[in-house]
Amino acid sequence: MLRTLLNFFLIGGLLFGAKVFVEGRRVEGPEITVVVQADATQAEVEKTIQEAILLNEARRYGWDRHDPIVFTHLVRNMRFVEPNSTDSDLELYERALEMNMQAHDPVVRSRLLYRAGESLAYVPEDRMPSRDQLDAHLQAHGERFEREGRFRFHHVFLSRSKRSDALPADAILMGEQLPALGDAAPVGLGDPLPGLRSEQSATLTQIKSDYGAELAQFIDEAAIGEWRGPAESVYGLHFVRVIGSDPAYVPALDVILAEVRADRVREIRDELRKERMDALRGAYTVHIERAP
Amino acid sequence: MPRSLLLCLALCSLPVAAVGCGSDGSTSPVIPDELGRCADFDELRQVYWGDTHIHTNLSFDANMQGTRTSPEDAYAFTQGEPIPLQPYDEEGNPTRMAQIDRPLDFVMLSDHAEFLGTLAVCNDPNSPGYDSRQCVDYRAAQEFDADPGEVAVVFIDINGHTAAGPENAHYPALCGPGDAFCLEAGTDVWAEVVNSAEAVYDRSDSCQFTSFPGYEWSAGPQTKNLHRNVMFKNENVTVLPYNYFDEPYVEGLWARLQEECIDAGTGCDTLTIPHNSNLSEGIYFENRMGNGEPFTAEYVAARNAMEPVIEIYQHKGVSECLPGETISDELCGFEIIPFSNLATTNLEVISPPDPRGFLRAAYGDGMKLEESLGTNPFQYGITAATDTHTSAPGFVAEDDFKGHGGAGQPNRYLPPPEGFPDIEYLSPGGLTAVWAEENAREAIFSAFRRKETFGTSGPRMLVRMFGGWDYPSDLCSAEDLASQGYAGGVPMGGNLSPQPGSSAPMFVVSAKQDAMGVPLQRIQIVKGWLEGDEYQVHVYEAAGDPNNGASVDLATCAPQGEGFGDLCGVWQDPDFDPTERAYYYARVMENPTCRWTTHQCVEKSYDCENPSRDIDMDCCDPSAGLNVAWCESIDCTDPDRLPPADARCCVPRVEPAIQERAWTSPIWYKPPG
Repeated sequence: MLRTLLNFFLIGGLLFGAKVFVEGRRVEGPEITVVVQADATQAEVEKTIQEAILLNEARRYGWDRHDPIVFTHLVRNMRFVEPNSTDSDLELYERALEMNMQAHDPVVRSRLLYRAGESLAYVPEDRMPSRDQLDAHLQAHGERFEREGRFRFHHVFLSRSKRSDALPADAILMGEQLPALGDAAPVGLGDPLPGLRSEQSATLTQIKSDYGAELAQFIDEAAIGEWRGPAESVYGLHFVRVIGSDPAYVPALDVILAEVRADRVREIRDELRKERMDALRGAYTVHIERAP
Repeated sequence: MPRSLLLCLALCSLPVAAVGCGSDGSTSPVIPDELGRCADFDELRQVYWGDTHIHTNLSFDANMQGTRTSPEDAYAFTQGEPIPLQPYDEEGNPTRMAQIDRPLDFVMLSDHAEFLGTLAVCNDPNSPGYDSRQCVDYRAAQEFDADPGEVAVVFIDINGHTAAGPENAHYPALCGPGDAFCLEAGTDVWAEVVNSAEAVYDRSDSCQFTSFPGYEWSAGPQTKNLHRNVMFKNENVTVLPYNYFDEPYVEGLWARLQEECIDAGTGCDTLTIPHNSNLSEGIYFENRMGNGEPFTAEYVAARNAMEPVIEIYQHKGVSECLPGETISDELCGFEIIPFSNLATTNLEVISPPDPRGFLRAAYGDGMKLEESLGTNPFQYGITAATDTHTSAPGFVAEDDFKGHGGAGQPNRYLPPPEGFPDIEYLSPGGLTAVWAEENAREAIFSAFRRKETFGTSGPRMLVRMFGGWDYPSDLCSAEDLASQGYAGGVPMGGNLSPQPGSSAPMFVVSAKQDAMGVPLQRIQIVKGWLEGDEYQVHVYEAAGDPNNGASVDLATCAPQGEGFGDLCGVWQDPDFDPTERAYYYARVMENPTCRWTTHQCVEKSYDCENPSRDIDMDCCDPSAGLNVAWCESIDCTDPDRLPPADARCCVPRVEPAIQERAWTSPIWYKPPG
């Protein structure tokens, strides 16, 4: 299924990536010289080196001469330079190459870097993860797939809209009444609110979205088994009694296989990008000149 | 290869269900997705928030506007991850970022199906269409410094195919003989779309996020909008995402979906969601089929079955009702855009919308058609969405609007917009809420089917509505309101059966404000009915206070005055006639707040007494798509002669304050016999 989307990288990309990865360390690489500012940091120097290597590789594979976007761009440049020319696009393009225009044009540079970067991240079929590898990935990175824990709680709500000025006094009465319930659910107490149940199960994210951050924090800090309140929200006052919590957990691989695979493939792309870049970096002899 | 043969091969050789494959060839195990698998299952149903209208870089228009974010990015955005927004600089770095204020529960990405294959062909050097003139032009238009005029030409050359009449609808030439290049490539991209939805769907019992595969069927003859979003219940989908070129008439689309999905015995189920009837020049609900003949009983039955809900509001305006019409009401003026079709919207050419393209009119026409044909083709439930073209589902905050692109302002070119990031008449769009047993595909899709849905203009205000005959007058005080509501009647979207001996139907509407928003002002009941052949509409106040005095300080956008955190009302129809067809929907109003345009003027401290020029500079940016009258007087070559104040902040053409709202699906009453 990846075929079409990745076909973009196949011309040159496969050769580029595979050759670099497999042979890069054994092949005597080219020499390049990069010029950096005198006060450039090490990170800036490394970025400049990597870009120079990728550009050089792109040129070695002829992308600067065969890429359609580069072609179109250079033709447009030439028509700007020679507005009265009646030469064909191909003739203009060849003349642009003779002038080495592609070596200095920022758009060409950007295009080549993009294409080289995508090629570095190409994932061949034999690098797609097996089920065992996915299982190992899930074990190693469980936190990425963790599901938020849930609170189970009793909930009594007093509506500001309904009770108006009586709300504070009603809250005092409710606070006195609730402990007598023991473990029983507060059925019939308080005011209804759409979506509210006398016994609820929800994540803190849901509670925050439904009732606001203050109530979410209030529930998060509540001790299990005790009525707490009132806590204020935009709706009124709330009393809650946390009756239990289900901790965060990581589902089994069978349940989230597609999710784990997608995550691992993303990671493989990053790994390949780094491996191939490192291989290229190792194969190149780089001379650094610091501009005065 | 002949097109028919290609389709046959595709159908015969590919699995209908898209599943992920590992290198060991194993496929994802079949995880039961039956009702009741989630930890938060609630038979009385809970509300879940979603967006079913989102475009990513897979949509041709979004792609041409510089959207580089993918479906994967869109899904990340729904969970709170920041994503980049155009314009990008020469190095490819984004100049803006976007982040939602809280996660969504469900999403359906709806990239335009027409050019899924086109983009793949033009980006695939191995494709035989890669070197076609149109692909070469497309890629040139993707250049960082592409001329906006040339980009527009390329856009029209390709996207213009969706504006052809149905008899002339066809794929672009780049798709090759029999459209084979694009059909083949489109099949692969569609499979990717389905797989990406699968990769984020939470199949654990935590049920934190639900995704639906989908796409947009983008018919726009003469730019009159007839678009539909196609939503699939699960990973069992049709092999191709049938688009306007495959099926230029909507009844053809429905027939394909019925045959190749619903009746296929593969576990596939699907529905279509109409939207932007306001931009159809009144033809969206026209009593005319593709062959030019009036509706038949078969047609209206198919439409009723395939289109349970409609998108009442989104980026390109509201389709509820039009101010000043005979079946209007005082609150119809909300986010009406002054354009009649897609082209006039994009070009900002003022052209009054046709009232026949609004739902208020369609509801009446639908009841009349039901009398003659036996089925109401327009018995729509309600949803709302963003229609974002920047991969930003649910990005609806008025105080953080960054533009949605599409028919709006593209923002492709540097510098990033200093003025309004979108056409000022457009808006951030809205959200859909569903009442479902749990956050999973089966439950949410079923909610769409039975229309237990409501739309909001953005805020997550929560509304519940039931209609019945014998509800107690104090139902609002009952803790088991939902239980009594279901037991004694039907929820929003339902059909209320006649009950001999009962005086008039009763409706209970309960609402609460957005926990992160402003208080509510009131609940209204909108009733429409047929009195003989005469269609009537009346708006009743059901709860709250329309004269609560609440307002907003337009200098600071601070809300002022009191409102209601929650509201509830039991309302009985005082004018009920059991012999008349009728519908009832609730409209819940917030207190006034600043519109996004006002937020931006306030944020920039735009002082109309001592004006600066930032926002006016949009007049000098052709990519901004502005051709408003005052721009014509601006000499962009002479900054010193720019006008002294920004007309859009100081002389706004749109209301500076709005009342956000929710619309429930109607409850329908049909007399006996």
